[in-house]
Amino acid sequence: MNSVPYFVALNTFRESVRDRVLYNLIFFALVMMGAAVLVGQISLGIENEVIINLGLTAISLFGLVMAIFIGVGLVYKEIERRTLYSILAKPVHRWQFLAGKYFGLLLTLAVNTALMTAGLFLALLYVKHSIAASDVHVLIAVYFILLQLALVTVLAIFFSCFSTPMLSTLFTLGIYVAGVFASDIRDMGALTNNTALILITRATYYLLPNFSNFNVIAATAHGDPIPLTLVGQNTAYAAIYIAAVLLAASAVFSNRNLK
Amino acid sequence: MPAASERRILARAAVAVVPLLLISLYPLQKRIENLIAGTRIQSDELLFTSGKALKNMSLGYSSLLADIYWTRAVQYFGGHLSRQDDRVQELAPLLDVTTTLDPQLIVAYRFGGIFLAEERPVGVGRPDLGVRLLQKGIAANPANWHLRYDLGLIYYWNVKDYKMAAQSFWDAGNITGAPEWLKQFAASVAAKGVSRQMSEMMWAEAYQSASDPRLKDNALLHLSALKTQDDLDKLREISAAFRQRFGRPPVSGEELYRAQLVTVVPKDPAGYTYLFDPDGEPHVDPASPEAAQVRQESSREK
Repeated sequence: MNSVPYFVALNTFRESVRDRVLYNLIFFALVMMGAAVLVGQISLGIENEVIINLGLTAISLFGLVMAIFIGVGLVYKEIERRTLYSILAKPVHRWQFLAGKYFGLLLTLAVNTALMTAGLFLALLYVKHSIAASDVHVLIAVYFILLQLALVTVLAIFFSCFSTPMLSTLFTLGIYVAGVFASDIRDMGALTNNTALILITRATYYLLPNFSNFNVIAATAHGDPIPLTLVGQNTAYAAIYIAAVLLAASAVFSNRNLK
Repeated sequence: MPAASERRILARAAVAVVPLLLISLYPLQKRIENLIAGTRIQSDELLFTSGKALKNMSLGYSSLLADIYWTRAVQYFGGHLSRQDDRVQELAPLLDVTTTLDPQLIVAYRFGGIFLAEERPVGVGRPDLGVRLLQKGIAANPANWHLRYDLGLIYYWNVKDYKMAAQSFWDAGNITGAPEWLKQFAASVAAKGVSRQMSEMMWAEAYQSASDPRLKDNALLHLSALKTQDDLDKLREISAAFRQRFGRPPVSGEELYRAQLVTVVPKDPAGYTYLFDPDGEPHVDPASPEAAQVRQESSREK
């Protein structure tokens, strides 16, 4: 029984590959090659920073687009094609199906991110002619991006359990933008001197997934060290948040009338 | 497990466990916040220092973007000023981007001009940047007399260039809709330079015309310090009268009250009783919030 999510995940990954989702890597490769050649020619004095900033931003953006647009369609597509009914007719629990779909997309994103990271290191190698030990911070930044994508994916899947792909996209994007600006929402409340508003904005701040926790792109580009404690804390934060949303999604999906 | 009971269990688990998980994120988020605050991981540096580039990228939504930048500028100023750190200097580029995105955002010029110019701890202590921002505002909004008035105020108060101050007040007075007294005001500044009466008039006008509460509070702070200086001048005269009558200086405000030289025990605007030196010179209680501001204002008059 426990292997069911594994098989669903593997199948989801294979399906993504068949759907040529990984073709975005070609575009990423072109962007990185173009940037590396251009930066090398212009010699701005901050070639390293430009390549890291551009590479990590592209990895984050490409991943976000994939996480949201594929995530919102994962469950909906199975219902539309009526393939879900044949899967659920077998000894497969709905939560297992959902968990499998989630981890399958996560695997796709991880492979995609890993390949893009390899591309980023190649571009760095082209520009600097060597890879320094300090460049390992890029891997921490990539890991944080992956945690962020895992959070966005679980939100997309949660909304897709009870809504249409269009609305799920809007909800997920909305939560993502609000999560990025969570600290601004809290600070705006603090400026009002209105106790109720301060409480509401503070609660919103702690309830929203705080995506700025994972943004270390600028620090990485400047070569600032990322404390290992933050790696542990961000991992715990993402794991708890994902567990909560996945549990809520399973409850919603299990109680949904699919007839 | 039957499907119905599985559904029930999942629903109950979700209701019980999800809130607990979300609550457990609170201490974790606090720790992450503290960790990030103690490092350079997320600096407040501006992503875009070129307002022009940002305007081109805003796809026609530059005024909305300006509002967002303006909100950030206010938050940034409040946050860094209260912590008294050097990064408050970045207020100038933030305001520059804001006003490039929306050149008609008058409040940004007025707020920025005054607080960039004001001395620390009230402002950034860079009158040159305040002047530059207001000149940019005047170029974009030539019909707004408030901006020229604020420029005059900075020249008068912070730069102490009374010729330029008089010129700015004169230019402000020439704009349609500006008050009549501005030209007389310009003439007085040109003739006399600094005077307390004019300072009081200027800050009273700054208070009247400000729409931003922080600007109003700043003007009140100056007005209150100027009133304290007036009080001290009067108390000096009363102290001399006391010495003439009793052959020694007064030791306290209560003594002046008992001698019926004042109708109430004299207190500063913050409610602290004025103190007297052994030679009868009145001064503000060092514990009073007025003390620091009065020191600044009196050094300006010297």
